[in-house]
Amino acid sequence: MSDIEEAVRTRGLFKRFGEQVAVGGVDLVVPRGGFAGLVGPNGAGKTTTLSMVTGLLRPDAGTVLIGGADVWRDPVTVKARIGVLPEGLRLFERLSGRELLSYNGQLRGIPKAEVERRAEELLRVMDLTDSADKLVVDYSTGMRKKIGLAAALLHNPAVLFLDEPFEGVDPVSANTLEEVLRRYTASGSTVVFSSHVMDLVERLCDWVSVMNRGQIVAQGPLEAVRGGRSLNEAFLGLVGAHAHGNGGEGLSWLGATPS
Amino acid sequence: MAGSDTVVSADAPAARVGPMIFARLKLRLVAGNLRGDTTRLLGFIFTVIAAVVVASSGFLTMAMLRMAPAEVAQDAGIVVFTLFLVGWAVVPLLAFGLDDTLDPSRLALLPLRTRQLATGMFASSVTGVWPVATLIMLSGAIVGLPRGAGGVAVGVVAVLLQFALCIVVSRLVTTSLSGVLRTRRGRDVLAISVIFFILAAQLPNLILNRGLGGDPLTLLHGAAVALRWTPPGMAAHAIADGGPVALAELAVLAALTVLLGWLWIVALRRAMVTTDASTEAASVRNSKGLLARVLPDGRLAAVATKELKYARRDPRGRVGWFASLAVTGILAFSLGGQEGAPPGPGLAVGPACLGALMISLQSCNSFGIDGRSVWMNSVVYATVRDWRTDLAGRHLAVVTIAAPVLVLLALLAAILAGNPVWALLAVPLAWGILGVGLGVGALTSVLLPYTVPDRLNAFTGAAPGQGGIAFMGSFGAMIGTGLLALPVVLPVMFGLTWAVLLALPYGILIAWAGRRIAGNIAYGRYPEILESISRPA
Repeated sequence: MSDIEEAVRTRGLFKRFGEQVAVGGVDLVVPRGGFAGLVGPNGAGKTTTLSMVTGLLRPDAGTVLIGGADVWRDPVTVKARIGVLPEGLRLFERLSGRELLSYNGQLRGIPKAEVERRAEELLRVMDLTDSADKLVVDYSTGMRKKIGLAAALLHNPAVLFLDEPFEGVDPVSANTLEEVLRRYTASGSTVVFSSHVMDLVERLCDWVSVMNRGQIVAQGPLEAVRGGRSLNEAFLGLVGAHAHGNGGEGLSWLGATPS
Repeated sequence: MAGSDTVVSADAPAARVGPMIFARLKLRLVAGNLRGDTTRLLGFIFTVIAAVVVASSGFLTMAMLRMAPAEVAQDAGIVVFTLFLVGWAVVPLLAFGLDDTLDPSRLALLPLRTRQLATGMFASSVTGVWPVATLIMLSGAIVGLPRGAGGVAVGVVAVLLQFALCIVVSRLVTTSLSGVLRTRRGRDVLAISVIFFILAAQLPNLILNRGLGGDPLTLLHGAAVALRWTPPGMAAHAIADGGPVALAELAVLAALTVLLGWLWIVALRRAMVTTDASTEAASVRNSKGLLARVLPDGRLAAVATKELKYARRDPRGRVGWFASLAVTGILAFSLGGQEGAPPGPGLAVGPACLGALMISLQSCNSFGIDGRSVWMNSVVYATVRDWRTDLAGRHLAVVTIAAPVLVLLALLAAILAGNPVWALLAVPLAWGILGVGLGVGALTSVLLPYTVPDRLNAFTGAAPGQGGIAFMGSFGAMIGTGLLALPVVLPVMFGLTWAVLLALPYGILIAWAGRRIAGNIAYGRYPEILESISRPA
């Protein structure tokens, strides 16, 4: 696969926080078009990797190429090309949903009339029209994810990076998010998202990268990574978590108390 | 952990949950907070040292009242005891909001009786550096106030009661407000009330400064007469009195403490079963604003209008503006009040320039209030120019509010000083200093950025461990602005009034230069800036 066909490629990406190596030499590859899932247990380094890939965190070593352009050497090209929904939903809390979208669009240099047109459509599709003039600080988790995604999509990026987009989202909002993202990828754009929800990754993604302890332990087309098993089974095997079975040892007191 | 009447399994006897467990929990939380973080550890050591100094000097001061005439000592005791109570009621609320150890809703799922919870929370409340310091300071009254053996005996009880009263009142206030404080609007209101607390703290200073009350002893006596029958007043009086009246007062005090304790238990019981009352969100006006209509469409307009909205909607923004103006007002008032100062243009120029400095100091950590959300700008900005435009937008927003405010301030000061024409001198100079301050502030914003906590309090404006950076940032900005403003301020001070014509262009130049250098720095180290303003606070 040449660099041009790859939406994202990192080489030897490395980040250390104090003594702790958060990301230890990650070579992430994401092909162009479709959904790519980044899965891994808590603390595997998914968020750190995504922060470095999107230029929000400076790596200690390694390179990041997005569509062949280096994030840290050619930010002008890269930043116009990517959309980001970081973890923790850090948004401008004291703007209304509509104001947040128009702020974002104007920062991107999109003409105001065009920003307003797109914002209106995004708000409608995300089912946020009724709450468009409420402050983001008063939004629920699902609403925040939706407005965050709307802001990330506003400039029609080629690659979208979403950190846990479905975490804490109710089924109705999750369905909306999924539909919007499917429509987005249908035209050949790429979505890279991290998640704990294996069923969802299995359903959406054509490509999966599995991280554990700051390393990529498996990467490739979904079918190849899961190798005939369910993704959940494959994942548990890859990260070295073994089912404890019925566990004769310990927890003997747990369960209905004989009286 | 289980209530005494619940049956646990046969091989695990139910442990008694006494107050000591809560005290240990509090100590464990304090220790856990310090582990592995040198700055926090240093902060804690500093707090302990401060508390020891405050406690010992407080104790000594109270004890030295022994040397004062009996009546003065009693008056002082009454006032000080009242101040302690008010302090305990207000300060924890403003300083910490709700701290985790004391939020009853976190303990709601544990099988604890309300009484256990109340004694436990009381125990955890008295476990701490400042409660102990308070107790030590109050104990000084046992030495300083009594004029007989009876007084000493009464004193021990009175001090303990007064201490319990302080703690119970403080708990009662935070518990009954905890429902409100968990909502966004409640916290907003509280954040703004900080400003009134700061102002109130300045009041005695102002009164003394202006000599309104005359003789301080008369003033003290007046206050003591007014506070004589308040509970802390009775406690102090009882110690000084030491007779049968004192015993009656102690009885009243004890009854009151028990009553407040009971009210606290009731509030606690209610707080534990009340869910977070989420505020019904109201819509905001979708106004464009004047600036957006005037400015060309684009990044500058986006940042400037967003900043103006934040100044209006974010409590921290409002507090910032109120504080700058209030501090200016207080300083101008106390400087202007000095007798014997000849009236002159200085009295008009001084407050206006001070106002400009104060307003510009708000910009010494421009990205701080945006905090974690600055990522949204960072993922867009790809050139040095982008960052400069961002800073320019922030400056534009400040100037939009500050320019007319400074004109008003200058006019007001000039009229008060005796000649409205002096405003012509004050306005350009103030505008120039604002420009200088903004330029310096742009630099400190990118060199010494720090997290401004969402939950603002009256005592620190920075996240844990960043107090030093915040201090350096604001003092650096203040000193830098002061020094860089000298070239225009000095000539005017020495009578070369035409120099004010240079003030505005000079200010604009410094602001531009500041943005230019700061833009370069921001471009080079924005991930680091983002990291310092995204600390958990």
